[in-house]
Amino acid sequence: MLKLAIYGKGGIGKSTTTANLAAAFSKLGKKVIQIGCDPKADSTMNLLGGTPVQPVMNYIREKDEEPETIEDIAKVGYGNVLCIETGGPTPGLGCAGRGIITTFSLLEDLELFENYQPDVVLYDVLGDVVCGGFAAPIREGYAEHVLIVTSGEKMALYAANNIYSAVQNFEDRGYASVKGIVLNRRNVENEYEKVSNFAKERNLEIIADIPRSNDITHYEDQGMTVIQGDASLPISQVYLDLAKKLLEE
Amino acid sequence: MRQVVGLTSTYSSDEFGVCSALYELGGMVVMHDASGCNSTYTTHDEPRWYDQDSMIFISAISEMEAIMGDDDKFIEDLVQTANELKPRFIALVGAPIPYMMGTDFDAIAQIVEERTGIPSFGFMTNGMQYYPNGISMAMERIVDFYCTEKKETQQNTVNILGATPLDFSINGSVESIQEWLKSNGYTVNCTLAMNCSLEDIQNMSKASINLVVSTGGLKAAKLLESRFGIPYVVGVPYGKKFASKLLEKLKLKKTSLGWDRKQVKKEKHLALIGEAVTSISLACAMEEENDVSVIVLDPLNENNELYRTLDVYVPEEDDVMEQIKSVDGIIADPLYKALCSNKEFYPYAHVAFSGRIFEKDLPNLINTEMKRK
Ligand SMILES: Nc1ncnc2c1ncn2[C@@H]1O[C@H](COP(=O)(O)OP(=O)(O)OP(=O)(O)O)[C@@H](O)[C@H]1O
Ligand SMILES: [Mg+2]
Repeated sequence: MLKLAIYGKGGIGKSTTTANLAAAFSKLGKKVIQIGCDPKADSTMNLLGGTPVQPVMNYIREKDEEPETIEDIAKVGYGNVLCIETGGPTPGLGCAGRGIITTFSLLEDLELFENYQPDVVLYDVLGDVVCGGFAAPIREGYAEHVLIVTSGEKMALYAANNIYSAVQNFEDRGYASVKGIVLNRRNVENEYEKVSNFAKERNLEIIADIPRSNDITHYEDQGMTVIQGDASLPISQVYLDLAKKLLEE
Repeated sequence: MRQVVGLTSTYSSDEFGVCSALYELGGMVVMHDASGCNSTYTTHDEPRWYDQDSMIFISAISEMEAIMGDDDKFIEDLVQTANELKPRFIALVGAPIPYMMGTDFDAIAQIVEERTGIPSFGFMTNGMQYYPNGISMAMERIVDFYCTEKKETQQNTVNILGATPLDFSINGSVESIQEWLKSNGYTVNCTLAMNCSLEDIQNMSKASINLVVSTGGLKAAKLLESRFGIPYVVGVPYGKKFASKLLEKLKLKKTSLGWDRKQVKKEKHLALIGEAVTSISLACAMEEENDVSVIVLDPLNENNELYRTLDVYVPEEDDVMEQIKSVDGIIADPLYKALCSNKEFYPYAHVAFSGRIFEKDLPNLINTEMKRK
């Protein structure tokens, strides 16, 4: 089972990358679960054609009880990807980080992996590792590899470094390690060079170079990933190549 | 090792300090926390629990309510219960879980007050501070709210501030302080907060002087001084001789400590571990009537404004161990004995430390002979 967590600065393209990767893995014949770990709960939107899944936290808030089956809180999307969103408390209240941890132990109680037997699990995690809850996806038993999404923008690299340091800090705990950098282009000056220097300084590899693409926006407007929209597009090929590469390693 | 209590116990928390201070005032006091560990308040730290009714509650917050920050349920419970019980006021008491979530108690209190018409207070305790902080918060707040009007000053009338069973047990000590004052020509006005009502608190401004008997009463005393110009004297009339010195200070009608801050080390040198005001008073009482010096080791808060020359703040168990190396004997709660194996040990139980375990052996030392044979 390949378990990946995708981190990166807010708005940098984590969810886009994750959903396209999920779609690409399924195109390659893999059974995929995508878990959005963000109170915004918008990670799996483009796999579900615009009809979102009810996030776990929302389910509990509305029903005032825990879900009893995976079906209560999961929805099958494009390419049979099983889509789950942790969701979170009402903005400004409670403890979103603890919500993620609780959702995870709930998924464990429901024996998600045992029952579903996925080949690939993707965790799409909110911007920064702000507290223990947002590090939960890289704890032992969850993701083994971290992908950091960044552009060549200064603040994106800054966030990428914070994430990298956080993951390094957890090294002796047996948490996940950074697999590589996903360069999601914003077309800033010397973008490749900047990101490649950043990666080299940390002994990391740029494992994908995703161009800025209008196709992404085009299909997003229709609630789709580019893979679903048109798998023959060059941008789709980039995601498919990344998926292949991750499977090979 | 820092911040580790390996051999002794810990003191009652700020949360319980608030509860203890408000216990007799007719309010509804709600600790916002998980049920379970908070019952130690009722079983250990509140000797009045079984004999005297009080509306003390725990909200029994669940994991999900914590994650969701479900203030609405808490508010609903508060409003419903308050409408049923009609308390004089509502006090919301913070605990570790809401502290971590950043629950806004003042805001919740405001909503509850609007919906019930009952004065409501939020106390930002977190269960990680010690009880004097809670007593202090509660007493200051309640005095601030209820004692707003200046009443005509009555000469030789005194309020006692800072009295709770956490420091004084219910062994008659507080009554003895009142009797001692009366026998010396004073009228006891309000004893905050034992045998005390909200009306007594409204009338606190009548007093000509305040007697502060624990650190928990200090903030309220300062408030009454700044609001009404009522001076305060800090001290507990332990021992005959110290009591009469304290009386002299009261007669001066000036804000002061009940003790002299200069201290001389004697041949026989003892340490007394405990809350600053009660312990320094007791140490002075022993020094007055015996040829000893007694330093106070204060594990609760750094009270530099109260300490005599040799008294020290000992935040960690290690600090206590370090300090007692150089003394001949220790006076402390029996649970401290574990630290004092090769020293003379004089047990003196403290409810805030050992709860009700030694309740029966607690001596009332107010205005008594302190001479040791
Ligand atoms: N390579 C790209 N080309 C064009 N648009 C892109 C690209 N990558 C992402 N976007 C667009 O950027 C926007 C933000 O992307 P996305 O929601 O994936 O970011 P995120 O990192 O998940 O954000 P958040 O931190 O808010 O969860 C989306 O509208 C998406 O379509
Ligand atoms: Mg996202």
